[in-house]
Amino acid sequence: MSLISDVIQSTKAILLGMKETISQLPKQSWTVQYPDVPITVQPRYRGQHLLHVDEMGKEKCVACYLCAAACPSDCIYIEAETDPRPYEERIGRDERFARVYNIDYGRCIFCGYCVEACPKDAITHGYNFELSVYNRADLLKTKDDLLITKQKQSKNYRVALSSEDVDSEYKEV
Amino acid sequence: MSTELIKVTINGQEFAVEKGARLIDVCREQAFNIPSFCYYQDLALQASCRMCLVRIEKMPKLQTSCTITCTDGMIVTTQSAEIEKAQRAMGEFLLANHPLDCPVCDRGGECELQEMIFDWGDVEERFVESKNATPEKFLSPIVANDPQRCILCKRCTRVCDEWMGEDAIEAGNRGVNTVIGTYGGWLDCSQCGNCIEVCPTGTLLDGTYRHETRPWELDQTISTDTYSSDGMQLSIGSRGGRVHRIVARDRYVDGLNGEFLDVKARFGHGFVNHEERIKTPLIRYKKGGKLIPTTWDEAIHFVTNKFKESGNNVGVVASPRLTNESIFTLKRFAKEVVGSENYTISDVEDLAPFFNNLSVPLATHKEIRHAKTILLIGGEPEEEQTFTAKQIRQAVRNGGAKLIIVHDTPIRLTAQASQFIHVNPKSLDAFALAFADKSDKTILSKIGAAQSEIDDLLKLIGESEGDFIIMFGRDLSAEAQAVLANVAGNFASEKRRVLLHPLPLYNNSVGANDMMAGRKSLSDVLINSTALLIGGSLSKPSALTDGFLSRKDFIVVQEMFETATTEFADVVLPAASFAETDGTFTNNTGFVQRVRQAVEPVHQAKADWIITSMIAREMGVDFGYNFSAPAAFRTLADSIDAYAGLRYPHLKDESKPVQVKHPIAGKKDLSKETDALRRGVEAMPETNEKIIGTPKVGHKLHRLTTMTSKTAQFHLLAHGNPKPENLLVSPLVQFNLDGTPRVEEKAEAASAGDRISDVKRTAGVTLDGKV
Repeated sequence: MSLISDVIQSTKAILLGMKETISQLPKQSWTVQYPDVPITVQPRYRGQHLLHVDEMGKEKCVACYLCAAACPSDCIYIEAETDPRPYEERIGRDERFARVYNIDYGRCIFCGYCVEACPKDAITHGYNFELSVYNRADLLKTKDDLLITKQKQSKNYRVALSSEDVDSEYKEV
Repeated sequence: MSTELIKVTINGQEFAVEKGARLIDVCREQAFNIPSFCYYQDLALQASCRMCLVRIEKMPKLQTSCTITCTDGMIVTTQSAEIEKAQRAMGEFLLANHPLDCPVCDRGGECELQEMIFDWGDVEERFVESKNATPEKFLSPIVANDPQRCILCKRCTRVCDEWMGEDAIEAGNRGVNTVIGTYGGWLDCSQCGNCIEVCPTGTLLDGTYRHETRPWELDQTISTDTYSSDGMQLSIGSRGGRVHRIVARDRYVDGLNGEFLDVKARFGHGFVNHEERIKTPLIRYKKGGKLIPTTWDEAIHFVTNKFKESGNNVGVVASPRLTNESIFTLKRFAKEVVGSENYTISDVEDLAPFFNNLSVPLATHKEIRHAKTILLIGGEPEEEQTFTAKQIRQAVRNGGAKLIIVHDTPIRLTAQASQFIHVNPKSLDAFALAFADKSDKTILSKIGAAQSEIDDLLKLIGESEGDFIIMFGRDLSAEAQAVLANVAGNFASEKRRVLLHPLPLYNNSVGANDMMAGRKSLSDVLINSTALLIGGSLSKPSALTDGFLSRKDFIVVQEMFETATTEFADVVLPAASFAETDGTFTNNTGFVQRVRQAVEPVHQAKADWIITSMIAREMGVDFGYNFSAPAAFRTLADSIDAYAGLRYPHLKDESKPVQVKHPIAGKKDLSKETDALRRGVEAMPETNEKIIGTPKVGHKLHRLTTMTSKTAQFHLLAHGNPKPENLLVSPLVQFNLDGTPRVEEKAEAASAGDRISDVKRTAGVTLDGKV
């Protein structure tokens, strides 16, 4: 091999690469400017759970344990208690309420079975996905972290409208 | 039921069944599942739920299989479109007024209606009318009632009537207005809770387990009752180291008692996780000082040194509430470690005279149920041996047995008796003498019964065939028990089998008697020793008041709670309760039954036998148990004849309990005992005044701490002598409907520290009296 043929081969290779690069330039960009620009998530996105309350601010959960029973990774822990006070005074909507409601996000696989199992529509998946913590123990979220009235929603996402076409890995490029 | 076989065709298959068998039982035995709510084996027939419909040829309509007795050549269809339609319609009607609040209902997950509707019901509801909403209410602090969930199967009313004989719960009104209710809106009974157990829906619920958890979350551990000597099998529902409830449901446990439990067995588990449990070993370094928490190492070391200082003159006392393993280890400690014969049990009565003079075998509960004649002398089985009482009642009601009661008090069972000999107060010994020695006519005046009554009794026994069971209570003296146990064999004949049934007070009285064979009396042990090792507490208050304990150099007590005995203790070691240990109890029919560990020992508690062997090891003797309960039981079984060859695997199946064969002494010369008995009887004052008035059963049971006016049952929080406060820590106090405690309860409570005055509404009254 001579020096000249080397130069020709290298130039060919560079041109071949640049051809691909240049052909991508006019196409839509895939890079998202997170966290400067909120990420758009689908309406059915399964993020951190939300425990809901009714219109009077009473917890909907009656601690029936069905979510814990449905959970395949056994990450939900509940302790039920009875609250015989009248509706106005008590915490939950019903006489029975969850004194302890923990979800271990170290175990949760976000399958959504708990949401399907819930007979009272008390638990749903929210959109919070920023669950990283510095300490593994902090992955255990208590009722205070999960309640819709207490959970802080991140500013780093926006939920797509149902009509909106959201980017996804399934999208044809 | 005869053993004659007849042919029945079910769904095209022919089966040979016993004549007189019930069709529903036959179908279920042959694996044709028939749904039913109201049918309950061992209870009167009801046929109100109409779920068990089958088609029988030549009968015009569908028939309820629970009321049909099999006849020869019967052709039955259990599955067809017609039957399924009828059953689905029934399910739909049952749900017409049943609230679908399963997520809130405590029965959800083990509800028979829920399961049945899933299998047979029409899950789609077509009724649009609103349901009759009725609020939930409490029938008593421990029985919650939601009338709307009721499907009127009337199991509860039948159980209350047939098992307990109480009729506290009954159906009222008619037709669609029928409700299950109580007299005066209040459940005035012994609070046994069997109505809760048999209820197929969430109508009657455990008030102490209200909204606590879910059945599938609970670990079910099969164990044995720690209160009554019947050895009832139960299932401890625990979760996360906490005992939540105790039930005897068929689906969890299949013991000798079926689904029967009494108030103590079912609700008296609050002590296991009670906050006043002793948490760490405690040492009293100076007499009269305080008990100071310490470590196990320090405590065991301290105990060892003190025992050595006392010259190994250590007396050992075991409580009959402990497991066989613990009692036997305490005995080994006395014999092998300190080399003394000073060991005893702290039972209220000595069972040795009974078991040493046994002339016939012990009766099992099944034999009591099917006995033909039952003689009850003294005792109060309805309070103390509740399952025996239930078997007696059913033997009379359902089995046609003849019950003869000899008693100084007209106890409630006398309503069932075919003969009741009402003797003078405390003159049962005289009756025993008359029973054993018919020649003596002079003692009749002491008994206060006519000769004709005793003649009638002997005639009735003489005419009886089948099983004849003699039971006697603790009212009789030791001599009288020895004599009666020995003469029982005289009544046996070819047509008649005689069986004996003791009525001891504590769960393991019989086991303690077996383990501690060759023991001394409690007072001898207390007098002869300078130091004491007490497992459990002393149950005889006199032993404490006599001042024996305060004169001892050194006392070690293994106990769960601070009791009157621990007040004298120099070292208190925290013991595990029955729910935290593995072991065995021996019941009053000689069944050895397993106690299984349901939860980890709370705080630093250890099982009694582990504590004893730790002290032994520190003193240089290794029992070789390696802290394994099976090894402890093996040692025990190898050294006690009646238990020879038994191992834990033999006791695995609670439906087939193993009976230890107590040696049958045969006819003995008991002239010494008879003479002593005669002297005792002659010293009896003559009286004509009899006790009138039937004591109400359960009159103290809601307290869970006392059983009858006669018997202080200090078993719940502190076996032995609880502090007065502890007596009221478990106030399942009767409340009026407005939420205030009943007047007499209030007065008693006030006198004992007024712990309950602030307890308000019945809802959620837990065992420690908090709302």
